Amino acid sequence: MTSTLETVSVASASRAPRPPRRRRRLGAERRRAAYLMLAPSVIHLIWWIGLPVVATFGLAFTDYDIIAGTVEWAGLDNFRQIFADDIWNLSIWHTVVFTFFTVPVAMAIAVVIAVLLNQRIKALAWYRAAFFMPHITATVAIALVWMWMFEPNLGLFNLLLGWIGVNGPAWLSDPDWAMPAVILVSIWKGIGLKMLIYLAALQNIPHDLYEAANLDGASGPRKFFAITLPLLKPATFFVFIVSMIDAFQVFDQVYVLTPDGGPANSTTVMTYEIYRTAFGEFDISAACAQSVVLFAFLLVLTVIGRRLTGKDGDEA
Amino acid sequence: MTRTRGSRTRAVTMVLVAALLATACGGPAGTTEGDDQASGTIRLLTPIFEGADGKTVLEEQLDAFKEEYPDITVEVDYTSYGKLNEKLTTSIAGGRPYDVMLMGVGWIPPFAAKGALAELDENQQELAERYNERVVEPGIYQGKVYGLPIMLDTRFGLYRKDIFAEAGIAAPPSNFAELREIGRQLTVRDARGKLTRAGVDILSNDLRQTFLPLMWANGGELWTSDGQPAFNSPEAVGALQLMADIILTDKSEDFGFTQPGATGLPLAQGRAAMMVGHNNHLLAIEEQAPELIEEDKIGFFMISNERPAMFQGGTLATVSAKSQRPAAAKALVSFLTDEQASLAANEQRGNVPALNSLSDSDYVQRNPAAQFAMANLDAAYSEGGVPAWLEIRGDFKAAIESVLLGQKDPQQALDELVAKAQAAIAKG
Repeated sequence: MTSTLETVSVASASRAPRPPRRRRRLGAERRRAAYLMLAPSVIHLIWWIGLPVVATFGLAFTDYDIIAGTVEWAGLDNFRQIFADDIWNLSIWHTVVFTFFTVPVAMAIAVVIAVLLNQRIKALAWYRAAFFMPHITATVAIALVWMWMFEPNLGLFNLLLGWIGVNGPAWLSDPDWAMPAVILVSIWKGIGLKMLIYLAALQNIPHDLYEAANLDGASGPRKFFAITLPLLKPATFFVFIVSMIDAFQVFDQVYVLTPDGGPANSTTVMTYEIYRTAFGEFDISAACAQSVVLFAFLLVLTVIGRRLTGKDGDEA
Repeated sequence: MTRTRGSRTRAVTMVLVAALLATACGGPAGTTEGDDQASGTIRLLTPIFEGADGKTVLEEQLDAFKEEYPDITVEVDYTSYGKLNEKLTTSIAGGRPYDVMLMGVGWIPPFAAKGALAELDENQQELAERYNERVVEPGIYQGKVYGLPIMLDTRFGLYRKDIFAEAGIAAPPSNFAELREIGRQLTVRDARGKLTRAGVDILSNDLRQTFLPLMWANGGELWTSDGQPAFNSPEAVGALQLMADIILTDKSEDFGFTQPGATGLPLAQGRAAMMVGHNNHLLAIEEQAPELIEEDKIGFFMISNERPAMFQGGTLATVSAKSQRPAAAKALVSFLTDEQASLAANEQRGNVPALNSLSDSDYVQRNPAAQFAMANLDAAYSEGGVPAWLEIRGDFKAAIESVLLGQKDPQQALDELVAKAQAAIAKG
């Protein structure tokens, strides 16, 4: 590499300067340097992300026996198998329900909190830290604390309900209440990051817009809906996509709060089914097919999200 | 342009092939020539020496092993039963399986059938002298010994003698009718109807492992003689109906009354009068309410109806068929299953020793649950038995729950379960 660079350098010096070609050479040198510097991350991406992704797609069309170590072509058999499985189909529905309730609700709450925390109030940093804390706390630890709160006999929720004469449900063991309980925990945990992104976006909104609105006599809600929300559109797109991907990949809190898919599979979600198929049933190929379906869902939702909320170019 | 497209196609094809090869490079678990010398470094995967205490116990035993076999070094990977499958599959797929793997009763047929386990050089007649026949069976697949038992996890009935005495009940239930009757009698609810004491707790134990001993006690079997699922037989349906009756008809326990992981054991707290439980629940009671053991307030009973039955799980030591050091691995298996090491393992988990000779040990004499289990091993039954068991067993919980929630009747739930099991067996 060094000798090539030297050769190029000597050759350049011996000729009369010709700016366009020199620019091209300079560009080639820069490209080489860029490739060199990018190489570690590219190798990392190919090895740790690219190959597993390709393998997942490949194995989804095979019958791979992980214990015996045999691989046979299976065509679409794995896809037929998973879509004939009621529990997998149920897990897709649960994932959609979970996403539907966690993403918009958490986003709405996060916007309101971000607006409130964008005011000049006392102990602002403490409030911001408090709302962000659930995001940086280990999900398993959070889930364990909530598990105690949901405990039917001695837990906080039923204790409070008992004071007003209500026999609370067995939150995590009742198929009607298990999913709402998991959604509640997930909304609470997800607000922090969304709030932070919205807060950053709010601080980029030019203040003179609000001053102009004040001069026009606009009310608070009017300013919020006419200025704040439209200018938060790029942030909303980002939060929406990231939250949706997160929601479709939910695993930790569901797994800890309601092990084994919850009562009568009432909280089983796609990621848990992938895990169960791979490591409970040792059916790696079917698990790969399920992963491909999950990927397809995320791809479609991301495209729809872009159409609905705007393109990358709009945001800066 | 054409050339570039061709290069890209070739590159993509190469990546695809490389990825598939990289993923599937574990290869079949064939036999290895290995060495005949008990030496070298071997890897052990264990799900039974959990936490700092478990690690200390195993390290003490491995120090003793090192004295006996100075040329063998053991590298240990500690895990739990919850993570065991991940460790096993990824190690096999990665082409570097553990030399010695400790695994549960239901794991032997699936792994042995696919050639992942090495046959152990054990004489079955000698084994019959060292162990109860029921204890040896789960380690045998198609007449060959693949696993030696270290410890047993048994499930049977536990009851509070003090609560029974207060109600004037002289003995624990000896059949299903008595179980229901006593359960109803000992159930307590407050003025608002909230359950404060379950007459019989069938939810604190794993649901499958509660259902199976009930099924066996009712005369049912997991498999027919030709290896087909039999857990939708009238006996099995009767056992599941009993569970449904306890929850839905007698209301001796409410679904969700116990929440494993969040609260202690209801029996220890006086929130249950009896339960289908695990032998090591005695250890939990010792921690939560030691006075119950000191004052002899905990009793045990076999689950009985057509016959007495006890669920017998356990941990067995196996050797990988791909081990490069089979002699060293087998030496470690022999060591871990001998009296000293297995006694230490059982003591730290509150489990039941597999070796007959340990029935007189101080540990067993001090542990009434272990004593009870060892005295009743002739009525012990094990799950597993077919290579597809690990795929089948995961479906039991949801099927049982659907009955306990009144969503399905027992026959329907078990018929659907059997259909899934047949599909799993057919898939191979």
